[in-house]
Amino acid sequence: METPTGVDIAMFEILLHYEFMQRALVAGVIIGFISPIVGVFLVVRRLSLIADALSHVTLSGVAAGLLLQKYVSAFAMISPLYVGMVFSMVASVFVEQLRRLYHSYQELAIPVILSGGIGLGVVLISAADGFNVDVAGYLFGSILAVGKSEILAIVGAGLLVLGIVVLFYKELFALSFDEESAVYAGIPRHGINLAFSLAVALVITASIRVVGILLVSGLITLPVAASLQLANSFRQAFIYAVIFAQVSVLAGLVAAFYLDWASGGTIVLVAVFNLLCVMGIKRTVSWVRKRRGHLTT
Amino acid sequence: MKSFMETVLELKDIQFSYENQTVLEAINLSLKRGEFLGLVGPNGSGKSTLLKIALGSLRPDRGEVCLFGQSLRQFRDWSRLGYVSQKATSFNLGFPATVWEVVASGLYGKLGLFRRLNKKHGRLVDEVIEKVGLTAYARRNIGRLSGGQQQRAFIARALVSEPELLILDEPTVGVDAHSAEQFYQLLSHLNREQGLSLILVTHDVGAVTTYIDRVACLNRCIHFHGDSAAFVAQQQAILSTAYGHEVQVVGHDH
Repeated sequence: METPTGVDIAMFEILLHYEFMQRALVAGVIIGFISPIVGVFLVVRRLSLIADALSHVTLSGVAAGLLLQKYVSAFAMISPLYVGMVFSMVASVFVEQLRRLYHSYQELAIPVILSGGIGLGVVLISAADGFNVDVAGYLFGSILAVGKSEILAIVGAGLLVLGIVVLFYKELFALSFDEESAVYAGIPRHGINLAFSLAVALVITASIRVVGILLVSGLITLPVAASLQLANSFRQAFIYAVIFAQVSVLAGLVAAFYLDWASGGTIVLVAVFNLLCVMGIKRTVSWVRKRRGHLTT
Repeated sequence: MKSFMETVLELKDIQFSYENQTVLEAINLSLKRGEFLGLVGPNGSGKSTLLKIALGSLRPDRGEVCLFGQSLRQFRDWSRLGYVSQKATSFNLGFPATVWEVVASGLYGKLGLFRRLNKKHGRLVDEVIEKVGLTAYARRNIGRLSGGQQQRAFIARALVSEPELLILDEPTVGVDAHSAEQFYQLLSHLNREQGLSLILVTHDVGAVTTYIDRVACLNRCIHFHGDSAAFVAQQQAILSTAYGHEVQVVGHDH
């Protein structure tokens, strides 16, 4: 009890002593910022599953990258993450095309791309006869995984996503709230949707090392789900979502470090816990208010 | 007063069919600056289709549309035109946005890419919100407002880009009678005090005769186009040809 702060500082020194942990934390702060920002638009447009579809395509890209690494010497030094990024960006263009094609069944694009992505990924993995590397790390995320060259890709992707959202914020808002009126007002729907899909693809690639393919969409949507419980305005929706995401990522990474758990799972569990707390507090508050109103009348 | 006589919208000999069914034929309709036109007609009479043609989202099989004296093919200045859709109030009620944010979004098309709202725009948004009587609700979540208030917020969104022509597609559907009345009064005020040209598509024939100066009655073709006083005089005859049966008109007494 005498020196709790001293103990805390020592713990954080150990935490930051490791370079891999420094990289994981930098990557975590970046994705904890860009995932919920993109997530707010995805959720209010009811397209949160697009993140799932694109992450599964990224898996096939990563598998292709690993395959190239194994057989093509030119690719030996290139992280499979870059191939994954190319795959998910191409797929995001396809999602937009499919959404235009099936105008009244826009969600149909999601299972088409998702199953196509996982199918190709599984075929590529089996064609390579398994990999030496840890495929599980890509699936569930790992704090050991963020490489030196990859941190640059994550920073770059983060800046690009931030650029897209800041530049097209007002168009994205108008399209999300009321697409028909936005189009009549002269907002270039297809161009903006395409730029936004690319942003989603970039978020997914940036997040994969830390959260993993299967859990990326959790980090994109769960903080937004909690935020929507509280937000009154669109601006608040962003602020709360970023706060919840940062708490999840940082607490999740620290817990994963000390407990030696898969980082993606830990982060997503913290995000679920956040959501449950918000719902619980909101219910309690309204129950107390109701009761108080009941007693005074 | 030459500018007062300017034609804001002109539809010339419009014909349109879905598959093999002719929905609109030989439609000639024009709106002068400052006019308030009520477009009435039964369900499936082609009212919404005609609006889509006027707004350029459907292309007619024959005929021409002119907005502000310019052919629709060359027309690019969409901010001169405000549109409030029938579906406006069926938005996602859980959407996290305040009235202010929604109204401001009416400026986004006019602003164009890469430009942001400045203080002047902010004041404009405040003024429009005041005009529709929602100042007290500006920072409220739009989903928490009543149907009538939401409808006024959508009018404000259309007005904020300072359009010269406002087109409203059945705006009072699902709104209670009192709110609808207030709503018509607001439109009438905008028309008289600010010279805004208006087209109101509606089922509500009673409102048309109370607040509106010109009426067009549509059912595949135009059955009547003229002053609302003349419309009132021949109301039963016009409506029975257009609707195909006797119509009970509910009046708005004032």
